[in-house]
Amino acid sequence: MKIVKLLLLLIVLGIVSVITVMYSGIVDVAADEPHSELVYWLLEETRENSIKKAAESIEVPDLSDPELLLTGGADYEYMCSSCHLKPGQIESDMSLGLYPAPPNLAVSDESHKGHEHGDEMQSARKNFWVIKHGIKASGMPAWGKTHDDQRIWAMVAFIKRLPTLTPEQYQVLTAVE
Amino acid sequence: MKTLTKIALIIIPTITLSMTAAAHDPSMHAKKAEKADCSKMDHSKMDMKDPVAVAMMKKCMKQNEKSKDKMDHSKMKNMDHSKMKKNEHSATKKDEHDH
Repeated sequence: MKIVKLLLLLIVLGIVSVITVMYSGIVDVAADEPHSELVYWLLEETRENSIKKAAESIEVPDLSDPELLLTGGADYEYMCSSCHLKPGQIESDMSLGLYPAPPNLAVSDESHKGHEHGDEMQSARKNFWVIKHGIKASGMPAWGKTHDDQRIWAMVAFIKRLPTLTPEQYQVLTAVE
Repeated sequence: MKTLTKIALIIIPTITLSMTAAAHDPSMHAKKAEKADCSKMDHSKMDMKDPVAVAMMKKCMKQNEKSKDKMDHSKMKNMDHSKMKKNEHSATKKDEHDH
């Protein structure tokens, strides 16, 4: 009986603490004020594991068709490049202003610190899932609401080759016909 | 006091405007529909087994075809080609004369 009472007391205390934090306004939600290392790690781990689990059963189609690079390139330029940058660009208003900072997809996976990318297949699965479903409270939209799977796979194919492109190649592939 | 107000009226909007201009380059936000710049493509260095090279070739070929279509004289109605030749001929003559 004592244990039950103690548990109830802890639950009530927990609820009261959460409500106090919520309504006191002490949590700083400003995007120019970074999280503490612990909070950042907690959110990052939660996000990465969630994406990994959600994307594990996605089947990756053949992404070597050159036509995919043309469709995906034009979409990348108009939908993604302002945040995720392009070859020869190191920052933009969006990449500097968003928090967490969007990854620079124009550089190789090894240059992104903080989390694993897995092999090519895993990376493609994760990119597809993130583009389609977006990520809550991060600025990443769910493009699946307005784009079919084929167009999203084209973007995945383009992103796969993006770190290897020169600014000139990028210009040709992403230009509007 | 009036002078101070006048100075404030000039300085405050000037500073505000200059700060907005320094914040970022507005051209970064403008998405222009650019055509592919195929002039820098070096065909000798391109590996035609590479999907990137194939995609670039396709894009540039399509763009070339489109620009040719735009200048397809057979599709241009009511155009008097005989007059065009005469005009071209007289223009050439004029050029020669000017030199």
